[in-house]
Amino acid sequence: MAVASTEPTASASTSGQPAAPAIPAPSSRWRGRPARVGGVVALMALAFALLRGDAPWPDSLTWNALPGRLDSLQGWLLEQRTAEDRSFIFVLLDGFRAFADWLVTTSTDAMLWMTWVGTLAAAVLLVWRFGGWRAALIVLAAMVSFALMGLWEASVQTLALMLAAVTLCLAIGMPIGVLAGRSRRVHRAITPALDAMQIVPAFAYLMPVVILFSVGPAAAVICTMIYAVPPAVRITALGIRGVQPDTVEASKAYGATSLQTLFKVQLPLARRQLLLSVNQTIMFGLSLVVIAGLIGGRGLGDVVTSGLYSNAALALLAGAAIVIMAIALDRATAAIADRTDPTRRHLTNEGRKRAKLVTLATLVAIVAIVLLARALGAAESYPDEFETATTVFTATIQDTLLDGIQSVLDYIQDPTSLIFGITEPIGNFLVKYALEPLRVLLVELPWFITVSALAAIALLISGRRPAITVLAMLLAIGTMGVWEPAMDTASQVLVATALAVAIGIAVGVWAAESPRVEKLLRPLLDTLQTLPQLVYIIPFIYLMPVSRVPGVVASVLYAAPVVIRLVTSGVRGVSPAAVEAASAFGATRGQVLTKVKIPLAREAIMLGVNQGIIMVLAVVVIGGLVGSGALGDEVARGLQRNEFGAGVVASLAILALGIALDRVTQSRTRSTGGQQR
Amino acid sequence: MRGTFMRGPRRVHGVAALALALALGVGACGEEKEETPAASSDSGAAAEKDCGKVTLNEQAWAGSTANTYIAKAVLEDKLGCEVEVTKIAEIPVFQAMADGKVDAVLEDWQHTDEYAKYIEEAGTVVDGGPLGVEGHIGWFVPKYVMDENPEFATWEGLKGKEDLFKTAESGDQGMFLGGDPGYVQKDKELIKALGLNLKHVTAGAEPAQVARWTQAIKQKKPVLFYWYTPQFYNQQYELAEVKLPERTPDCKDDAKSGGDPEQYKCAYDVTVIEKLFSKKFAESGSPAYDVLKKMELTNEDQDAVAKAIAGDKEDPEEAGAAWVTENADKVEAWLN
Repeated sequence: MAVASTEPTASASTSGQPAAPAIPAPSSRWRGRPARVGGVVALMALAFALLRGDAPWPDSLTWNALPGRLDSLQGWLLEQRTAEDRSFIFVLLDGFRAFADWLVTTSTDAMLWMTWVGTLAAAVLLVWRFGGWRAALIVLAAMVSFALMGLWEASVQTLALMLAAVTLCLAIGMPIGVLAGRSRRVHRAITPALDAMQIVPAFAYLMPVVILFSVGPAAAVICTMIYAVPPAVRITALGIRGVQPDTVEASKAYGATSLQTLFKVQLPLARRQLLLSVNQTIMFGLSLVVIAGLIGGRGLGDVVTSGLYSNAALALLAGAAIVIMAIALDRATAAIADRTDPTRRHLTNEGRKRAKLVTLATLVAIVAIVLLARALGAAESYPDEFETATTVFTATIQDTLLDGIQSVLDYIQDPTSLIFGITEPIGNFLVKYALEPLRVLLVELPWFITVSALAAIALLISGRRPAITVLAMLLAIGTMGVWEPAMDTASQVLVATALAVAIGIAVGVWAAESPRVEKLLRPLLDTLQTLPQLVYIIPFIYLMPVSRVPGVVASVLYAAPVVIRLVTSGVRGVSPAAVEAASAFGATRGQVLTKVKIPLAREAIMLGVNQGIIMVLAVVVIGGLVGSGALGDEVARGLQRNEFGAGVVASLAILALGIALDRVTQSRTRSTGGQQR
Repeated sequence: MRGTFMRGPRRVHGVAALALALALGVGACGEEKEETPAASSDSGAAAEKDCGKVTLNEQAWAGSTANTYIAKAVLEDKLGCEVEVTKIAEIPVFQAMADGKVDAVLEDWQHTDEYAKYIEEAGTVVDGGPLGVEGHIGWFVPKYVMDENPEFATWEGLKGKEDLFKTAESGDQGMFLGGDPGYVQKDKELIKALGLNLKHVTAGAEPAQVARWTQAIKQKKPVLFYWYTPQFYNQQYELAEVKLPERTPDCKDDAKSGGDPEQYKCAYDVTVIEKLFSKKFAESGSPAYDVLKKMELTNEDQDAVAKAIAGDKEDPEEAGAAWVTENADKVEAWLN
């Protein structure tokens, strides 16, 4: 399912000049297919008219014992961990817990001990030394904004959590990625596990993680790792595989051992991709901050959660801090990667000596500033107010910011506002003409017709193997006893994907044609990918007060950026020769776009569709929290009411849906361009 | 969010941590942490007995923020404890108490499964008795709806008039806005058992559900929804309750256990809000335990502070401390 397999998907990648997806010639198989797919859909509609509601998934084909089994598994885990004679595994896990707890607490404490002045100076100077002044300015702006928002301590806690989690992710993910990059078999073996780690919602495994690691930083780190290790593995593997085979051959021919080839050839040449994996791991990690807060991750995640219940403006402010942290970390790591690239720096001996001196001077300066700040009695955390002998100044602009956000929220919540007059009908329209008809169709068709029709569509679009996968996945969903909610979720996922793809292609093509648009879009896309969805979805509930729509909006907003990025890079990657030839024959700009660029970029666009689906599925649980019901609701309940088994079953159904949809949209990519990677 | 965690002794902690880090003494950090409570007593106010560090867990809703910060103010100002507030989700916090990572939860809405597992079987969590706040779940409509349709005072009045609550979402039925998936509920079963032509629509987590019905109120539309007291929103919005059938002895409240809808056909029972303590904390001899054990609030106390925090956006620390100052007599009773 290759989330980020041909290309790092989620989020802000500066350093990641994404590898342009392979663009094979358009195949004739595609033609005539829409008509046949249309035929299948027409048959479904006919069957619906005749047999509506006649055959829901039968109880006799349901394995009801599964949730119960899973519940007892959880109980068993709890017993094992607290047992007197614990098995070696649990001792090991406990050791890891102690280590991770220590890592996070120590770095938090260290950053607080250095005082806010010292921490700020250290961050800015280090980034300045290794990443240049531009990146340092961004970091400075970010740190100052945490201070002014009055969220310094929470930000430091989140930063420490992220640094620890990302370090551990890379320590585990990179070696696995190297193995996967060097061996096709390893790669194939771990891919399903990576897919599962990214699609199964974190809510489903929070409780087992808490049982194994208790609450606190360690548990938060583990959850973050489950989600953020896969991109580290995938991008590393991609980088290693991307090293020219003849280079590797050459080194072997000169008698290099396997390890020498790895360390002297493959790793150095894959440097850019390795650094990109650092960068993407950070992005994925940050998107889990709020969930990590639920099990003791503290920091900004906590502020978001409690803000949601009692102060929506505060939740938005903390969400903004998360975005700022993501952007600053992204730009800083990208700049450091760029500046320290040995292939681009040709240092003389003298230059090297000077560089070392500058580094030393930077470190000395940091130590001096920290000690000075402590001597002058600077506070550990940025204070709420400064006191002078005569007056007290408010040190943050938190109140002003909150008032500002609140007034925007008030406007949104005003049902007489202009914007509400536009958004409410759109919401109702979506429910009435897209979500509800599709749901009713999928749920109320006799199950065997739904199953065979969807498999037939898969056969038509992608071929035999994907069709078999789809069949197996749908039957698995039914057997687990979640047919109805799964079809409900499927209807929402399909509508959301359609919208995300439509928006993604339109905006993506536009951005590909106009670099200015792309530049303007970038911060917006970064924001959409790292801002916790719960934060911005609440305003949407006011704007579109119908249960399933805000969830769909959240999915679209999360998935569209990925589609936009893939489409942009695909269209841009179309060979200039083809474009020039078309122009030479007198094609207008519009004709070049629709007749040449878009058809040639179709594979990239299909990859966008595929990644869009994965991202949409990742948001299903959030949908459950804002009223989408169905599988997302069951997963959320799994944690909140401790219906562990039911939650896991619903998560598995989400995974099965993901695999099915993925195979339908991806197999062609795989059978053509993908295979040669 | 104004630097609420760990004020004083962190300095000691931090120095030790950095010294250790500098010395690369990686392993020894566990012990260093143990010393913290002892070191904290000198920074505390007039502590009669060494109180040390107490970790309270704040649940996500505003009522819990209120009672947690009231307790924090009392423990810090009267006993000189160092109070840390965590925000761990409702179910994982049981394991947190079992592991001694959280000392107390002051507002638990009776998680019977977890009580069986952690209190009765494992004995790692201790029931600290009722907080005094009584929870009540029911069906609510805005007051203007009740004024126009006085028959809605009981559920029978809804019969035949379900149309009033129709939305795009509910088709030709009336819409019933369900509660947070994490809360105890049986409304789907109730609707079925009472034979009402209503469609149960999940609105999602509480903030999302609140967004839905407050928006309806702003539009002056009719809306029927799952809601509860004590809740500070009840002071901000005028709501009226639809009376459900009287309770019968065998009537159940939590549809989680499934089965015939008929067995849920009654009003929700009053929920006694419990205080829970980690066993470790209960046996530590900390003076904080005795105070928290005696702590008692009324629904009005809690709502007033919750409204100050969530409605008027006061800082929780200040709102909690203000209540403690104003209610010195009540607090005095917990201290003796």
